[in-house]
Amino acid sequence: MTAAPPPWFASDARLIETDESYGWAEIAAEADHLEAEFRTAGQAVVEAVRPTTVVAALAAAERAGVALLLKRHKALLPSGKKDWDEGAANGRTSGFSVLLETSGTTGTPKRARHDFERLRGRLRGTADSSARWLLTYDSGAFAGLQVILTALASGATLIAVPGANAADLARAAVRHGATHISGTPSFWRAFLMTLGNERPPLTSITLGGEAADQPLLDRLQERFPNAKLRHIYASTEAGALFAVTDGRAGFPAAWLETGVDGVGLRIRDGVLEVNSPRAMLGYADAAGLSEDWLSTGDVVERRGDRVLFAGRLDGRVNVGGVKVSPEAVEQLLLAVPGVLDALVRPAANPITGHILTASVVPLSGVEEAALRAAIRDASAALPPAARPRVISMVENIPLGSAGKKKREGAA
Amino acid sequence: MTDTILALIAEELAHIAADKGETLPAIDPDSAFLGGDLPIDSLDLATLLVVLEQRTGQDPFRAGFIQFNTVGELAALYRPNAA
Repeated sequence: MTAAPPPWFASDARLIETDESYGWAEIAAEADHLEAEFRTAGQAVVEAVRPTTVVAALAAAERAGVALLLKRHKALLPSGKKDWDEGAANGRTSGFSVLLETSGTTGTPKRARHDFERLRGRLRGTADSSARWLLTYDSGAFAGLQVILTALASGATLIAVPGANAADLARAAVRHGATHISGTPSFWRAFLMTLGNERPPLTSITLGGEAADQPLLDRLQERFPNAKLRHIYASTEAGALFAVTDGRAGFPAAWLETGVDGVGLRIRDGVLEVNSPRAMLGYADAAGLSEDWLSTGDVVERRGDRVLFAGRLDGRVNVGGVKVSPEAVEQLLLAVPGVLDALVRPAANPITGHILTASVVPLSGVEEAALRAAIRDASAALPPAARPRVISMVENIPLGSAGKKKREGAA
Repeated sequence: MTDTILALIAEELAHIAADKGETLPAIDPDSAFLGGDLPIDSLDLATLLVVLEQRTGQDPFRAGFIQFNTVGELAALYRPNAA
């Protein structure tokens, strides 16, 4: 016997995964199987590639009353419970919660713990059960999980193509008549480029994960005049914070005084800080958050009646919705045999926001072709977004006046 | 004439494809960058634009995103004499 669907899975909700259609009846058996596995193991870990697996695992972990880790980084398997679930072991949090891996591109990804009810507390839907959502995010990403849960709770249809690129997704959107799409600005640019003359019946367009620029917002509104257009601001640490619906980049400066939707906003030393009731419970490997105000790490500037986003405080840059650290990638290049020195910098572009470029000083006597191959091999361990895409061989790295490498991007 | 820009785009696309172990099919002004026959993705296209800026000294996107789908539409955004 298989159990009834969980309360967050509306009975008429459907998942179309790589053109196969699933309802709860088709997912229930996998949930039963996972529940037994989770109870035996006392912990719950799944690879969050397919949305059907994620949904089954959420239902199973909820029934078993265990924390669920949705894994996105294959290479970094937790070796034991203690590695990733200290919070639960300490009794600080117990029972069902969801651990998501941040899209950190180098080093060990951080895992953020979310209370499931709070995670769902921010969902807006659309009680519209005729909606057809296209999933453009990883199933194990914060944004992806929100899209999945929004669609399922409202009895809508979720269209997913695990492992697809933007062009595949655009075709799926046309084929399955997507009405609601949430994606990064980089996704939307590639989506527009792929569509050609096709025009899926979009009624809701959401941008998130990167700052939305005005030309893109204008272009989307022009192409889909009947769609509601909004860009949302969220962070893994603070949860989903607010949505901007006036079609303009940034957010209204008035919100610094009034807050928005129960979220307080302020600027300290040029960085946006938030006070959110929806903050996560804490990093799995750190003490719980005690500060009321949380730094977002996002540099902002006030211009007239708007507050606009101007990059990351820690120097990380956004490459197609993935935050990457030029400095960390530079460390990786410096460890490649034959590299004497290296400088990794972001280069701005209108497709993915940034890409990383590298200037490399070879050791004398090292052959360029061999060195390029060695760098390519070393970079293969990085997610595609973090790989240096343009590599120049140079004789030296120019230093700034303080004797430090000048890392600022060629804008 | 945008022939020199077209040649430059073809040359750099071939480099990008070769780096991935792919062979670039013949391209013409109507070739679509994404969703067509070219073996490239968004990151490859982003790389192309950065390299074009390095080689031409021009950044047609300084003010933001401009819609283009094909090789010819991109080439038309650059002044050919600066290539």
